[in-house]
Amino acid sequence: MTSGNRPTPVNVLTGFLGSGKTTLLQRLLRSPRMERTAVLINEFGEIGLDHLLVQQMDESVLVLQSGCICCSIRDDLKSALRGLLSRRERHEIPAFDRVVIETTGLADPGPILYTLLSEPVIRHHFQLGNVITTVDVVNAGLHLSRNPEGIKQVAAADRLVLTKSDLAEPGQSAVVRDELARLNPSARLWDAAEDPVDVDFLLDMMPSGTPPVPARYRLEEGVAQERGSTAGKPTAPGELRRHTDSVSSFSLMLDRPMDWTAFGVWLSLLLNRHGDDVLRVKGILCVEGTETPVFINGVQHIVHPPQHLERWPTEDHRSRIVFITRGIDQGRLRRSLQAFCRLQVAELSAA
Amino acid sequence: MCGLCGVFLTETHWSDVSMSRPGSGGRTRRHERLHRVAQANRILKQYGLKLTDWQGSAYLLASRTGQTVIVPSVAAVWPAAERLRKQSIDPLDERLIEALEHD
Repeated sequence: MTSGNRPTPVNVLTGFLGSGKTTLLQRLLRSPRMERTAVLINEFGEIGLDHLLVQQMDESVLVLQSGCICCSIRDDLKSALRGLLSRRERHEIPAFDRVVIETTGLADPGPILYTLLSEPVIRHHFQLGNVITTVDVVNAGLHLSRNPEGIKQVAAADRLVLTKSDLAEPGQSAVVRDELARLNPSARLWDAAEDPVDVDFLLDMMPSGTPPVPARYRLEEGVAQERGSTAGKPTAPGELRRHTDSVSSFSLMLDRPMDWTAFGVWLSLLLNRHGDDVLRVKGILCVEGTETPVFINGVQHIVHPPQHLERWPTEDHRSRIVFITRGIDQGRLRRSLQAFCRLQVAELSAA
Repeated sequence: MCGLCGVFLTETHWSDVSMSRPGSGGRTRRHERLHRVAQANRILKQYGLKLTDWQGSAYLLASRTGQTVIVPSVAAVWPAAERLRKQSIDPLDERLIEALEHD
């Protein structure tokens, strides 16, 4: 652990092949804020191109040797993180207080997150930070159609980084933005071609005041209005939308404080049966017996340890949960949650 | 492993964590476990199964015919229940939802 016995944050940088992960990493590493960062690079195939590109990290760079990080070398990720820990303790490498893992373009983020959250030594010393997914605006449709892991990468993201928007056709960037907002309304967008690098925004899970679930929905039947996004609108025509049609995102709002125990029982049952198709669940919960909100965050079968936030991000203290699902009847899911938790659950739609 | 009863001590599953603040007047750990068991049984009874707490460290899942398994967490109950019943337990099953709505 770092000084003060706080777990070292680990960020996962993922995205399609050629979507600009390494370029983003290089930009991040130029920031003085990243001086004490160890980088794990996943070498895919025979030639470690990525390694050559970021070799200036020297002692802190560790190349995982045996191909895709997710399906074949989860043990290598475990070994790499344990190795970093051990070498830091023995002062063989400079002290670091953050780790960034750059995955392959073909990586399913699930097993990586599972390794970080479940391996006993790793979960004790490291803490999962933001998952950052790069999306090439020019080739987003192609990538989402050819790479079935691409949608999982988008769904798992806490930050979605648009790349190559300066090379895109007029309007193309807006279409991709809208579709990404539909697929993952809980992620925040950042355009690498337009905006200067903001390390805190990209890497920190929740800078103060940032709501983990965006206020971009309105309640059905107009009970509450909030300003918002394009999520849910059919804004992405043609090719791009066709490849993502089976995936939907929706947000639920609960009318009063929830019984956390009942919710945990229900969610564990849902994930047992449908975890493969619950690509993401993220929410801020008003729980009986506590004044402060509880933050939940899950990717498929993997759920982060729930955590208390210091305060509510807005005056509205009702529970909100965003689901990103594939082929699940959202009305039935809402009824199931409502019946089990004995609450009124409203479905929110895009404003 | 516990030296007295032979139970393997495992990491606490997220769904077995209490989110009540200490001193907030919330349930005690014992009460919380019993409440968790009661909640799980709202589902399990629809399938002829029953869960009970076992020494505050695990759960016993039993069928009406007496088949019994020990599980470490509520999350581990569901795959064990599906094996006992040889059927899936789906929270999105219309019949289960209707049963819960009239529970």
